[in-house]
Amino acid sequence: MGAETVCVPAPDGEAGAGVSGKAISGGAEARAVEARPPRAARGWRQLLAMRELGVLIALGVLVVLFSLLQPAFLTLDTFGDILTQAAELGVAAVGVTFLMIAGEFDLSVGSNFAFAGVLLALLVTRLAVPALLAVPAALGVAAFIGLLNGAITLATRIPSFITTLGTMMMWRGLALAITGGWPISILTASTLLDVLGGKAVYGTLRISAIWLLLVTGIFWMLLGKTAYGNWVFATGGKREAARALGVPVARVKLINFILAGVLAGAAGFMQFGRMSSMSPVWGDALALEAIAAAVIGGTSLMGGSGTILGTILGAITMAAIRVGLVMVGAPSYWYTAFLGVVIVLAVILNVKLEATFAWRR
Amino acid sequence: MAAVARPGAPLLEARGISKAFGKVQALLGVDFHVGYQEVVGLVGDNGAGKSTLIKIITGVYPPDAGELLFEGRPVRLHSPKEARALGIETVYQDLALVEQMSIARNFFLGNEPTRHAGPIRLLDSSAMHRITEQVLREIGITTLRSASQDVGVLSGGERQAIAIGRTMHFGAKLIILDEPTSALSIKETRKVLDYIGEAKRRGLSVIFITHNLYHVYPVSDRIVVLDHGRKVGDFAREAVSIDDLVELITLQREAASGRT
Repeated sequence: MGAETVCVPAPDGEAGAGVSGKAISGGAEARAVEARPPRAARGWRQLLAMRELGVLIALGVLVVLFSLLQPAFLTLDTFGDILTQAAELGVAAVGVTFLMIAGEFDLSVGSNFAFAGVLLALLVTRLAVPALLAVPAALGVAAFIGLLNGAITLATRIPSFITTLGTMMMWRGLALAITGGWPISILTASTLLDVLGGKAVYGTLRISAIWLLLVTGIFWMLLGKTAYGNWVFATGGKREAARALGVPVARVKLINFILAGVLAGAAGFMQFGRMSSMSPVWGDALALEAIAAAVIGGTSLMGGSGTILGTILGAITMAAIRVGLVMVGAPSYWYTAFLGVVIVLAVILNVKLEATFAWRR
Repeated sequence: MAAVARPGAPLLEARGISKAFGKVQALLGVDFHVGYQEVVGLVGDNGAGKSTLIKIITGVYPPDAGELLFEGRPVRLHSPKEARALGIETVYQDLALVEQMSIARNFFLGNEPTRHAGPIRLLDSSAMHRITEQVLREIGITTLRSASQDVGVLSGGERQAIAIGRTMHFGAKLIILDEPTSALSIKETRKVLDYIGEAKRRGLSVIFITHNLYHVYPVSDRIVVLDHGRKVGDFAREAVSIDDLVELITLQREAASGRT
């Protein structure tokens, strides 16, 4: 099952896999300057300089709003529901964020999510492939979908927006073709489904929340604490500068396309686990929702900046809107309208905060 | 035409360099050298051949004729990478800095120090900050609050300091500065000239390319004037005044317009 912890093929023999708890606690905070004496004022300044400040404010406002309208919103059960909703989107959005920071897009993540998901479902049901083989195989296909996006984009130099628009349709069509358009379900008890995200570990909190936490931790570290992360920022920030300093920008982009593919597939598996079923039509809005989560969390559409924590908070914000609107009794189609407003407001907030507080870093 | 006396071979020597692009003769039989711990101002009008000469020295393209010697040995450069491996670093006008990244991350981009944490290698973030702040202090930049500031919020002069400090720290022997003062205020320009002086004190050689004689004159040991692909002057600073240089460049320009 370790397949979803994503072995990162970092270049130059850098091992990115196998993160231990010890390693995480040993990571020095990038923004902390050791030479400086700690001061209370500095804590405030750091908070104001945080790139996640905008999404934190947005999420805080929403939580207060929904709690006032519906006191039951502020419970652990609701929190579990929100994390369940956020988990699949969040995992896919982390891959999209990585790619966006490197200056590329992947519109095909929703199709990859569906194709890898139904492929896994087909393998374990109709073809009776053991789960321990089926999961890595389907994840390999998800990685291949990402690789193909990257290879086409880099070899032909067409915008990834276009490449992945095409592959989005292609893989969606293939997902429909291999299933005949029907969902594939597992109706009996299944360890595979439990592990992928179906099992509740505490109240409404599911295993999928743990996958989300794991993916967040690994990619937060990869982006912020490794040389590879530095290369990702530079590749999207100023490609020519990065290249002049010896950063293999094409390889960085290709790896990020693959990571986006793997995480999209993994999100599909989590959906399969939660629903005990996988439909080839699911995830049709995932690509745009993942981009929305990233930009709410402060990731730039132009590349070069963004954070993993911001994206996860963006996904949680979107899930909180969905759960909150249901709890206050709003018809479900209000979700999309409300989300649209929140996206625009959050991005305006991010831009204003960046302009006001960037110098404080 | 006073030649500065130096013991042994210069750091960099270019002999009889010629380069043509189609019918345009960009350089014709140019001899050029840079001594150890010497600041050479390379001046001339647009189209004089300054950037062509620099691109040959930095391996961007090969000369049609002539040879390059570095530390007394003949070298044939096929790429900027090879020039960099020798210790020839260029600081371009756009500086090769990423605005959205912090100073420390920019400083070590492509050369990140890492430390082992169990099975994985992590950025040595405290070393990155410590070394960056130390190098920038040494070069004489005192206005920065911390190395975790984004480059995007810095002034042009501060960016120059980071780019120059980076090349110094990573073992450059010859730093080529392409119009480092062109977009700067008077105050900032003076600072950048100080950084050049500091680089020299630390044993580096500098080629300073500019249009502005008033910027290059105070910091240069020697000034080389190019015009229409030929070297028309090579003076020790003491042997020439700014007025002489202005006159030389203007005369060349008038002669050229007389020719056409």
